[in-house]
Amino acid sequence: MAPQPIYLEEKLKEIQESGRLVYRSKAMPTWCPGCGYFSMVDGLPGALNDLGIAPKDTVVVSGIGCSSRFPFFVNTYGFHSLHGRALPVATGIKTANDALTVIVVGGDGDGFAIGGGHVPHAARRNIDITYLLFDNGIYGLTKGQTSPTSAINFHTTTSPYDNLDQPLNPLLMLLTYGATWVGQAYAGQPQQLEELMKEAIAHRGFSYLHILSPCVTFDKTDRTYVNLGELVCDMPPGHDTSNLSAAMALAMDTAHPALGVYYKTERATLADNFEEIVRRAAGDAAAKRATG
Amino acid sequence: MNKTDIQIAICGSAGEGTIAAGDILRSALAGAGYRIIAFDAYPAEIRGFGKCVARLRVTTEQAYSLKEKSDVLVCLNDDHGIPHIGEVRDYGAVIYEEKSIVPLAEGAHVSAHILPGQVPYPVPIRELSERTTGAVRSRNMVVVGYIAGLFGLSREPFYKIVDAKFKNKGSVAVQNRKAFDAGYDLGAATFKLDDVQFGAPGEMFHATMLNGNAAVARGCLDAGIDTFFGYPITPATTIMEKLASEMPKRGKRLLQTEDEIAAIATTIGAGYTGARAATATSGPGLALMSEMLGLGVMAEVPSVVFVSQRGGPATGIPTKTEQADLNIALHGGHGDAPRIVIAPTNVDGCYRCAGKAFEMAERYQTPVIVLLDLYLSNRYETVALPAKSPFEADSDKPLAKQDLGAGYKRFAYTDDHVSPRALPGMAGGMHVVTGLEHNELGRVNEQPDVHEAMSRKRHEKLKAALSHPDFTVYKRFGDEGQVDVGILGWGSSFGECLEAMFLARREGIRCAALKVVMLSPFPVDAVTAFLDDCGAVLVPELNYQGQFAQLVQAETCRPVHRYNRVTGTPLRVEDIYAEVRRLALAATRKAA
Amino acid sequence: MSTPRHHVVIGSGVAGNQAAETLRQRDPESRVTMITVSKLPFFNRYDLPRVFRGERDWRKFVIYPAEYYLDNRIALRRATKVVNVDGARRTLTLEHNETVRFDTLLVASGASAYMPAELAEYQPLMHGFGAFRDAIAAADALPKDGHVILMGGDTIGLDLGRTLLDVGYRVTVIAEKHTFWPHEIKAEERPLYIEALAKMGFEVIDGHARGEIAAVRAGAPGLAPRRVVFHDGSEIHGDIVMPFFGVAPALDFMLGSGVDIERGLLVQPSLRTTNEAIYAAGDVCQIWSDADKRYHFYHGWKNVRAMGELAARNITGADEPWVPIQDESLQLSADGRIRSPFWEYA
Repeated sequence: MAPQPIYLEEKLKEIQESGRLVYRSKAMPTWCPGCGYFSMVDGLPGALNDLGIAPKDTVVVSGIGCSSRFPFFVNTYGFHSLHGRALPVATGIKTANDALTVIVVGGDGDGFAIGGGHVPHAARRNIDITYLLFDNGIYGLTKGQTSPTSAINFHTTTSPYDNLDQPLNPLLMLLTYGATWVGQAYAGQPQQLEELMKEAIAHRGFSYLHILSPCVTFDKTDRTYVNLGELVCDMPPGHDTSNLSAAMALAMDTAHPALGVYYKTERATLADNFEEIVRRAAGDAAAKRATG
Repeated sequence: MNKTDIQIAICGSAGEGTIAAGDILRSALAGAGYRIIAFDAYPAEIRGFGKCVARLRVTTEQAYSLKEKSDVLVCLNDDHGIPHIGEVRDYGAVIYEEKSIVPLAEGAHVSAHILPGQVPYPVPIRELSERTTGAVRSRNMVVVGYIAGLFGLSREPFYKIVDAKFKNKGSVAVQNRKAFDAGYDLGAATFKLDDVQFGAPGEMFHATMLNGNAAVARGCLDAGIDTFFGYPITPATTIMEKLASEMPKRGKRLLQTEDEIAAIATTIGAGYTGARAATATSGPGLALMSEMLGLGVMAEVPSVVFVSQRGGPATGIPTKTEQADLNIALHGGHGDAPRIVIAPTNVDGCYRCAGKAFEMAERYQTPVIVLLDLYLSNRYETVALPAKSPFEADSDKPLAKQDLGAGYKRFAYTDDHVSPRALPGMAGGMHVVTGLEHNELGRVNEQPDVHEAMSRKRHEKLKAALSHPDFTVYKRFGDEGQVDVGILGWGSSFGECLEAMFLARREGIRCAALKVVMLSPFPVDAVTAFLDDCGAVLVPELNYQGQFAQLVQAETCRPVHRYNRVTGTPLRVEDIYAEVRRLALAATRKAA
Repeated sequence: MSTPRHHVVIGSGVAGNQAAETLRQRDPESRVTMITVSKLPFFNRYDLPRVFRGERDWRKFVIYPAEYYLDNRIALRRATKVVNVDGARRTLTLEHNETVRFDTLLVASGASAYMPAELAEYQPLMHGFGAFRDAIAAADALPKDGHVILMGGDTIGLDLGRTLLDVGYRVTVIAEKHTFWPHEIKAEERPLYIEALAKMGFEVIDGHARGEIAAVRAGAPGLAPRRVVFHDGSEIHGDIVMPFFGVAPALDFMLGSGVDIERGLLVQPSLRTTNEAIYAAGDVCQIWSDADKRYHFYHGWKNVRAMGELAARNITGADEPWVPIQDESLQLSADGRIRSPFWEYA
């Protein structure tokens, strides 16, 4: 069947009526033309809109990096914090106010180099926030240096003799850290990205969405749209998202990055635990009153 | 009425219940209506044979520091007691284990070291413990009882404390009472040769006994703290421990974070939502927090950071006291990053500064650092806390309410330089806070005029803190008007400064002392006026560099004399007095 | 460098202190340790009657200030009891389980009140006078214008009695064989001295005539707190009863030392015991007299002080014999009052 033509006027009307535009700020993204991140700034408004979460009840928290400029481009509350510190800032926000939807946005250097110490703790506590990790395998804001997810033999200004360090495997790390929702998307497949964002945000607990993206300016050789487009693949048929071992095995196959939900499970969130502690403390106090 | 001023020291190893004995003694004496200042010294080792010393000064009049000499020394252990014999004054009492169960070499028993002016009280401590409880672990209760009996104190306050302390521990309370009674009876029957006299407590001083960290926790609770985030570090940890047990009872939340960076980041995150949020740390943690505090300044988010200093730098001497983190508290981090820094000088001040810190953080939209140190954190004092919280429940400048419309400026320039906040969840208030320089809307802006205007805003708004309602920014004590010597002090060591000032005045030196509680913004007019009243000014502090002296000189352009010690222990009143005397004599000679 | 000699003195009375001072002067490099069961530094026992004049601060009784011991490097170990001396190993063991080595030892532990065996069981009802706290306890138990019964009445007791009379108390002496101890009085002169006591204001009861003291008992309701019962069935009443039957050397800890002991430690005129490292001085020793070929006790503070000094001199190289310096005879003054040389200490 031949593709149906898209008429600009109809599409604009459709977008305006969708309601997603209220989530977009008037600020123009600072990213380079063609950057994979544009699909994300498009995806999040759609996801929030579909989920019916009001902009005033949403806080987008970021660190420092190209992707971390994200909060300026959406019309929600935003906290553009320090390099590597988005997760703890978000943890503070969510701890203080359960009613807010808190979304953390950051890149591979922000999350896994300088901020790497915070990731396991956000995951193990199962704090009910969503972490959107934009992985382009390079430091873009500082004009092209190696990152913790850069490929071996990747050539950059700080690895003029090529990068020899083993890259991290963020998906495998998050699975072992105890994240209760782990998935992967690709900037080149924006509809799926939006769907996965929606699912991640809807998940009750700590959700981690790893988003593969090119850096069109500083990486002309490795993670290009062409290369990534050839590498990414669908989830193997029958993948059981409740099977942690299967999810880990899938994450370890770095040659064939599968897109979709790797793993999801339910357990008490940090807020549940806070409430349990309050209950226990009240019991303690009541017991003390009874004997005193 | 007999004035009472008695200092008791208890020495022993960590495993001998030394600190517990001090705790019961000071709690009971506080319960009996005396005023207490107590400070324990103990080793870093968790258990084992490390040396502990529990010291408490019991008075009927207000005292401000421990005394140089103790009136009573209890040695639960020969090795640890012997080095402390010298601190007992003449005609004071030395109480010690009468017999060793193992053969001792010559000089290994406390009795070999008691000085001729001191009064020896050998007590069969172990024997009484074993006889009454079948075990040696109640030796500490035997000596507490012995002291109570020897000095004719009532048993009731001690029973009360023992019962409360061991309430949920089955027969332990009964056993400890027995051990206490055995010691008491022996003490009461002992022919008293020392001249230590407990007078009646006099007018009952209805007080709570707290250490500095517990007072901080009480201040937090009374100020309605919503969230607390922390990472364990000596000597701040007990603030978190106390809040961890108390906050959930009030439905509030406390999270132990993965490090200090996370602790301040979560605190600022919570502060951003409008919650009252705090963290507590020591110097090493403050160093890690420095960058994030700068974000708090830039993003104008309220946060409260309690810093209990210890010996530094690096890991330093974690179990000793020092005042060497003033510089990092004032200036730590990069850029022009003004913040409020306040330092209480006593336990009551810990409570007030803690509560007021939340008011100031909110009112001026800034990080507030409350500087304590190990000596203040761990020092117990009897304090009369208000029955009702004296702190404002909400100090925010009236918030931008409801639908703010598109024109809302989070960082609007205002007369008092404080901009109305919109909090997440408020319709129409959506904005981004950022560590980048920004304009009134919060949008990134690097224009020269914007950076200058915003820098001015961030600095100028803090000046109002110098007249924050119901807060003692500074206070002068001693002689009015022109004086020979002035003592300028801050933080935990001000108590010793004050006692030295009293001593100097008794010795005929015209002397005054100024305590400076607010260190940033600095009360430059008041301090300059004080310096101009003084022939010479002494600035005693527990750091090598003279960090406060540097601050004072830089702010006032007036010379001061420094007195700096880094022994890991509190300053000595006699040493400060000697400096004051030296300055007074030098002035006299110069005049002559 | 050799370790300094360690001179240990047991006892901190007149003899011990005189010895310690002399040892320090004559052997400046040595260590001098003085060990005493007393909790107080050296005070003059003869001053104790002042307690009954209302002087209750022990600090006013002390002979030397604390600095004296520090300045003279005399290690004063109080509240410390020696339980054994090993003369061969030259060590002594303290009750709290510490062992102290000595190069020379001077035993100047003095004497304690002698209690006849038949009265020992009544001791809890008596008030002693050996230590400062005993004097305080006795004074505390005595009401104003109260009545003190002195049993026996040795010179220590009679001396106290003189003060008690002077302050206005009623004092009864139960005269028996220890009365006037340690003075030896001829039987025919005894009535003169008893009469003199009465002249001085004492009420004197002849214990011997009443068949000697049988018991001390608590007073019955309505009567004075104490009564002394005689074998003839008679009794007398008073507020406190104090035994003054003379003193006995305090030397239990020397029984295993290997030195010769009779009633006291037996010493040569040089004051050396049968162990060349161990000397004795004061009320604890009996000194050989070449003149009458027997061992003698010598009493009185002047004698005792001289013994302490002599022992210290001989320990530090001298070789001088003991010569008593004090006349020990009891006398009657022209006005018929008793004068004991042991009372002359003021």
